[in-house]
Order: sequence, then structure tokens, then C-alpha cells
Amino acid sequence: MTYTIASSKLGVIGEPFIPADGINVAALLSGGFIVEQSTPKPKKPAKTSTDTNEEI
Amino acid sequence: MATSTYLSNPLVTVNSVDLTDQTSSANLTRVIEALESTSFGKTARVYVGGLENSTLTLTMYNSFAATETYATLAALVGTSTTVTIKPTSAATSATNPVSTLTGCYLETLPIINAALGALDTIDITFTGGVYSVATS
Repeated sequence: MTYTIASSKLGVIGEPFIPADGINVAALLSGGFIVEQSTPKPKKPAKTSTDTNEEI
Repeated sequence: MATSTYLSNPLVTVNSVDLTDQTSSANLTRVIEALESTSFGKTARVYVGGLENSTLTLTMYNSFAATETYATLAALVGTSTTVTIKPTSAATSATNPVSTLTGCYLETLPIINAALGALDTIDITFTGGVYSVATS
């Protein structure tokens, strides 16, 4: 999970936020200081049709 | 002997949030509990160092505006966090070291401390945690 800064009291708005040791991330989220950024899922590979008919 | 003038103007962060502009007093005290080890034959009490139990007490202006005092502290009561303080807002250096309490505990949070014609101020105390100091 990644976080983005949403308040200038924490840093530059829009920059990624990497919590240091001991930082209470839940409190920052509930206070509106950071927003959660969901990590994009990797694209699924395109489906390819497999010809299972064997030619004899 | 040289003397220096030091104007108190510290930079304070609570849970990474810069609350300098809401803080009017800060008092960081490093405490290492004294364990008495006086034994028979001694003529004075003697002690050895026990567990560290430092405290940071802040006096803050209460503000319920977005991302201000209340928003920072409300979810921290009863939990541990990290606080930092350094003498001035200048870059961290040997003459402006940053002190950190990692994993300190906020036990109480006054919600309202109102008096007619006065600003709402609160005193909060962070207790415990690991003390460290950095000069760069």
C-alpha cells in the first residue's frame, strides 16, 4: 500500500508519503493528512486460443 | 567565558505532522529511572539506571480546523507514535540537533479547555518511547 501527502503540514501535497518508524498511519489517514493509493494490478496477459485438435 | 543568547523557537512534529504553529511551549525531559542499589555498609544511597521513560510535554492551541491540532491528536490517544523536536527550524546540524521519541504513548487528550475571552489551549504529554538524537 502506498500513501500520498494531502496536507502541507506533512510535506508537499501530492508527493508520496513513506512512514518512518513508529508513525501511526491510521491516525494520519483518519485526520486527512494522507490518502491511500492503491497499487495498480499487473495487466493480465491477453487470452490466446489454443488449438487442441490434433491433425492426424 | 563566552556566552550565547538562545531564543526558544523550536520545531515540533507529532506523528510527522508539523504543529510548530500551534505550539507555544515544549518541554522534553530525558528520564532514566533510578533503581536503588544501596547495600549494607554504605553511608549514602546509591542508584543504578533502570528503564528509560522520557517525556515530552506540549502546550498547544486547540484548533478543530482541518489538519490542525485536533485532527492530528484525536486518533493518537491510547496509541504510540513518534514525536520530534529541534531547537530551531534551521537545518539539522550539530548545533541544531533533532531529538526524537519513537514509540511514545499519548495517554490523555483534553478536548475542550475553554474560558471566556481566552484562547483554547491544551497540555499534552507523550511518555516513554526510545530517545534518539540526530545531528544530520
